[in-house]
Amino acid sequence: MRTAEPQAPVNGIIPVPGAFDHTLSFLLRGKTSRASHLLMTPAALWLTIFLILPLAFLLILSITQRGPYGSFVWTLTGDNFVRAFNPKYLPVLLRTLSYAAATTGICLILGFPFAYYLSFHAGSRRELMLVALMVPFWTSCLVSIYSWIIILGREGLINNVLLQGRILSEPLALLNTPFSVILGLVYFYLPFMVLPLYSSLEKIPRQLIEASYDLGAGAGQTFLKITLPLSLPGVFAGSVLTFIPCMGDFLTAEFMGSPQTYLAGNLIQNQFMMAQDWPFGSALTSLLLAGLVGGLWLYQRWEKA
Amino acid sequence: MNYTRRDFLKTAARGLAAVPLLSCAKEEKREINFFNWSKYIGKDTLPRFTQQTGIPVNYEEFADEEEMFAKLRSGAMGYDLIVGTDYMIEKLKALNLIDPIPDGALSHRGNIDPRFLNTPFDPENAYTIPYLWGTTGIGYNKSKMAKPPRSWRDLWDEKHSGRLSMLDNARDCVSTSLLMLGYPETTKDPAAFKAVRELLLKQKPLVKQYSSATYIDGLVAGELHMSMAWSGDVLQAARENPQIDYVIPQEGSYMWVDNLCLVRGSRHREDTLRLLDYLLEGPVAAEIAGAVRYASPNAAAKPHLDKALLSDPRVFPGKDIASRLNFHKILTPEISQLWNETWSDVKVS
Repeated sequence: MRTAEPQAPVNGIIPVPGAFDHTLSFLLRGKTSRASHLLMTPAALWLTIFLILPLAFLLILSITQRGPYGSFVWTLTGDNFVRAFNPKYLPVLLRTLSYAAATTGICLILGFPFAYYLSFHAGSRRELMLVALMVPFWTSCLVSIYSWIIILGREGLINNVLLQGRILSEPLALLNTPFSVILGLVYFYLPFMVLPLYSSLEKIPRQLIEASYDLGAGAGQTFLKITLPLSLPGVFAGSVLTFIPCMGDFLTAEFMGSPQTYLAGNLIQNQFMMAQDWPFGSALTSLLLAGLVGGLWLYQRWEKA
Repeated sequence: MNYTRRDFLKTAARGLAAVPLLSCAKEEKREINFFNWSKYIGKDTLPRFTQQTGIPVNYEEFADEEEMFAKLRSGAMGYDLIVGTDYMIEKLKALNLIDPIPDGALSHRGNIDPRFLNTPFDPENAYTIPYLWGTTGIGYNKSKMAKPPRSWRDLWDEKHSGRLSMLDNARDCVSTSLLMLGYPETTKDPAAFKAVRELLLKQKPLVKQYSSATYIDGLVAGELHMSMAWSGDVLQAARENPQIDYVIPQEGSYMWVDNLCLVRGSRHREDTLRLLDYLLEGPVAAEIAGAVRYASPNAAAKPHLDKALLSDPRVFPGKDIASRLNFHKILTPEISQLWNETWSDVKVS
């Protein structure tokens, strides 16, 4: 794969491209597989420092005791986990599950047609539409939340228009309701649904669809028999990517919710901040994480079977 | 070139000597880092200090005291001066997060009203300089109320369902509930906590939000009719909107003191003490109190205070109200845990 003539040595220094080339081919060609393992080093270090170590610390913390003034007492105990299984936390768990499921469902309903359009019909507008999808995601989360507060508030944009237009006589309670929390979640996590859907729709060989038409199938049949089944990996990936962050979200409920929309994320955040009970917070986090990973694993096993 | 070993040693020694000098030069950025509640100071207070002394002050804000505490506890570096409420001082001391203020370092320390000295949270006056004090009460929007609230029970009034707000912390909610139910603040009685939980849960369906920061906007916009509130926050809003008012309920309430404290082992100690002394000056303390509408524990500030503020019973309560105001007691960690659990239970239910 030489593309250029070897460079002449300058001032007695070995030409860099040669050595560089040599190193690269040593790493990439994988003649000795151990060498190409070196490529994993940055990622492995990253994962160790920023994922595995913090997780290990979280697990260790979850079996310590909360001392006076929120300090840690290093006597090992399972109390935090026993406390977490207290039935009083069940409503919060169920609420969080239902909000996450509703958000995932709505994102799927909104996201699928959008991804389908992007992949099959958007043409030259595709780039623009993808950017439009991502812009809210790049905006600071707090700015977005405050914008929603301005739009949904009792004296907000929507209510003002409805009142001015004499469509309503009393302002609607839109903010600080389950509606506004789910709206906020859908708003934040829609890109997580659309992007995997879009990429799985993009991967469908167009010849298959043409073949289906050639064999006399209609548009509906082609969609149901070809496009939809082949896009299922995207549906699954998008749903997982939406559902999981929803389970841990606390900002949306904190700012757009009410006392009746208290979610698991709020419960955990309150342990770390307000109650200064890091061991219990860690136990709750570990359980939530275990539940999500376990659920995912079960699903994959079931899918393979 | 002749390069003897002695020469080498000399150069090396010089190099080594330069290392601490270099790191010093880096750290020597002369700036006091002041960690305080958001907008809890006069507009010109700090710029004027910088103008007088040439020492820049970096004012960093927090909206939630527990957030400040969590930051300090997890080892956040670089803060020199912080503001903490009475009960927080206890925790900061217990976890060795603040330093005593050196004796004789401040020339205006005598300005503090003796009423705010030898407090339960700092009996020796070793760690704290009282900064501002205020009360917990009810803020309300007059245009939404047939008559002004008088009792804590008014926050349980179903007529205002969905238009009520409570401060989001165990400290204020549990203490006032105990007060309403007639239990002493330091009770350990499980029946008391069961009753508090039931009382707060009865109110929960009526509550629009538990928040310590956004209730003012709600009151001003009329989305909230009444809110459990901190005096100065409401009175700042009342300055611009005459519909907003504040009352200390007839059952009585709590007064609290925010204190200036030196962060343990912080740099810029000398400059920080200079800032502390400046904040203790009568006119400066008066300016701060005037801006934030909280009462000043500084006796020397009195002659400089705005007359209207000084005669405002909502800021400086008269004898009859003052007799119904108490400092929070110091809670043992065990009781404190009961408070936190009770509040947490109310929120998850």
